[in-house]
Amino acid sequence: MTIVDDFRILEKNGFELLPYFLAKNEKEAVAAAKKIKYPVVLKVVSSEIEHKTDVGGVKVGISNEDILRHSYQDIMKNTKGKKVDGILVQKMARKGVELIVGGKRDPQFGHMIVLGLGGIYVEIFKDVSARICPLGQNEIQEMISELKSHPIIDGARGRKPINKKAIIELVIKTCSFMEKENLGELDLNPVVCDDRGCDIVDARFSR
Amino acid sequence: MKKIIQNLDKIFYPKSVAIIGATPTTNKVGNVISKNFIDGKFRGEIYLINPKYKKILGVPCYSDIGKVKGNVDCAIIATPSKTVASILDECIKKKVGGIVIVTSGFEEIGENDIAKYIREVALKNNTPIIGPNCLGVFNPYTKTDSMFLPMYKLERPKAGEISFVSQSGAVGSAVLDLAAYYGVGIAKFISYGNATVLDECDYLEYLGEDDDTEVILLYIEGVKDGKRLLEVMKRVNKKKPIIVLKGGKGAGGAAAAKSHTGNIAGSYTAYNAAFKQAKVVEADGINELFDIVKIFNQPRPKNNRVGIITNGGGLGIITADAVEQMDLKLADFSEDTKKKISEILPSYGNVGNPLDLVADSGVDAYKKAIDIFMAGDEIDILLIIVLMQTPPVDERIIHVLTKASDDRRKPIATISIGGTYTEAYRKILESNGVPSYNSPKAAVRAIKRLVTYSEYYEKLKKE
Repeated sequence: MTIVDDFRILEKNGFELLPYFLAKNEKEAVAAAKKIKYPVVLKVVSSEIEHKTDVGGVKVGISNEDILRHSYQDIMKNTKGKKVDGILVQKMARKGVELIVGGKRDPQFGHMIVLGLGGIYVEIFKDVSARICPLGQNEIQEMISELKSHPIIDGARGRKPINKKAIIELVIKTCSFMEKENLGELDLNPVVCDDRGCDIVDARFSR
Repeated sequence: MKKIIQNLDKIFYPKSVAIIGATPTTNKVGNVISKNFIDGKFRGEIYLINPKYKKILGVPCYSDIGKVKGNVDCAIIATPSKTVASILDECIKKKVGGIVIVTSGFEEIGENDIAKYIREVALKNNTPIIGPNCLGVFNPYTKTDSMFLPMYKLERPKAGEISFVSQSGAVGSAVLDLAAYYGVGIAKFISYGNATVLDECDYLEYLGEDDDTEVILLYIEGVKDGKRLLEVMKRVNKKKPIIVLKGGKGAGGAAAAKSHTGNIAGSYTAYNAAFKQAKVVEADGINELFDIVKIFNQPRPKNNRVGIITNGGGLGIITADAVEQMDLKLADFSEDTKKKISEILPSYGNVGNPLDLVADSGVDAYKKAIDIFMAGDEIDILLIIVLMQTPPVDERIIHVLTKASDDRRKPIATISIGGTYTEAYRKILESNGVPSYNSPKAAVRAIKRLVTYSEYYEKLKKE
């Protein structure tokens, strides 16, 4: 199972993902980027690498073929010695607030959802709120207003507030996905949101 | 409500009680429980059961429950665990209404077979069984008391409207002792131990329908069916407030997590989420549990605007800080209120919130200020600071504050900080039902909980 298999299952369950392609070589990556349209990001796909960013396995904001080729070679160099399943070419996400939508199966309460400030520092800030599935719109609204970072979500420093409807729909969808597939754990992180909608940038789950 | 839960009435309102394992040996469990009923002025029939004795504490003793002529509503079993199964059979044969098993030595030490037997027998006969491995029950209205802690060591609280369900006997008895000390009234106490037959959800259901209960306290460490707990809490909390204290908040389960979510969300996260979803009030520790309980006997505030009265400027300021930190509002006085206040203040006094009555004000100034605050529509909650140390404040303050608490138009809380003299006054206030605190933070935190629950309650009414 690679991330692409996870992506396919998510898509089958109605999650909208950014256009992506798993390239086996540089040539495939170039072709994929052309089809997806720049800007794109490259991410190493390897079961032997847990934190892609930490090893230099992620390149973002790639705007043309030249940079793409460079970035591709860079990643291959950085991850030398590890078993690489391919390089994920993914449409660059929108700019916005990085959130995490997480799920977990609790032995007493069943499936629960965690929503909060996402990104790579999620475990440091721990600015999340949690609720037991199933969830309604009001409850998700409450989860958002409970966050310390909710002023950011509501549009601090001249930014427009993020599209709450999109995040509410995503949480509801995640709840039913967790329950339907009886998942043990799930991370959609980061989910990048602006006033128009949300992009799921990375996802992983286990049973 | 299921029949077996309804049948708990037989345990809480028994016309007759049998104490199985009664003994004349002082301080043994069966002796303490027998004394609870005999010395505690239980009004129904008391049957002591022990084949070794003809008479215990001057009361006739039966060799087994089958020998009792009349009906037995409530049987309390305090015999060694290996005898419990056969005694249970005798109780069922006698058609007792409900059973409390205080004995330990069942699931908690891996004796699951006998626990299973207890469960099967209870469910088959719709006979409620509380315990085993617990303190059992206390109902001050009927003087039903299976707590095997002697009365001279654990004072029993007076009758009131707060019921307390506790998974732990130790936490339960400590809170009960404090309740007695501060004169807080209790409706029912249930220490349910292993929850072999009935669990916390069943007791919440029962207390939700109980006319004597206005507020429910719940202490839990772990539950078997979280989904049901959430559903029952949601439902019962709509009728009366549930105040919950969770023991065991460690990051259990988080260690093996593979994801960010798994790392952040331990088992307590799920409990905390469920408490929020059910809109129950979660207390942070025994002290806060007590702080909250005290104020929940007050009427529900209409909004979150606090009016502070003080005879000490500094304490007024610290309290005002706490009010703002807790996202409550300091009330803005109307022109009418301002005018009325200026009439009662000395010429050098300032009209403001906190309202500083200054140290040479006496009890009359408090009385007048309270009347003005009660009448002003812009004030929802009265927070009254009394420095008992000042010369003009004398014992009449007790009467004034008690009257304010009994007024019922608005909730009040009082703060008094000091040593022996002040604490003695606080104790009298508490036993008069006046919420009294020895720190501004504790008082304001409790008010915040009351406001939050009231907002929820108001929202429910509109739906």
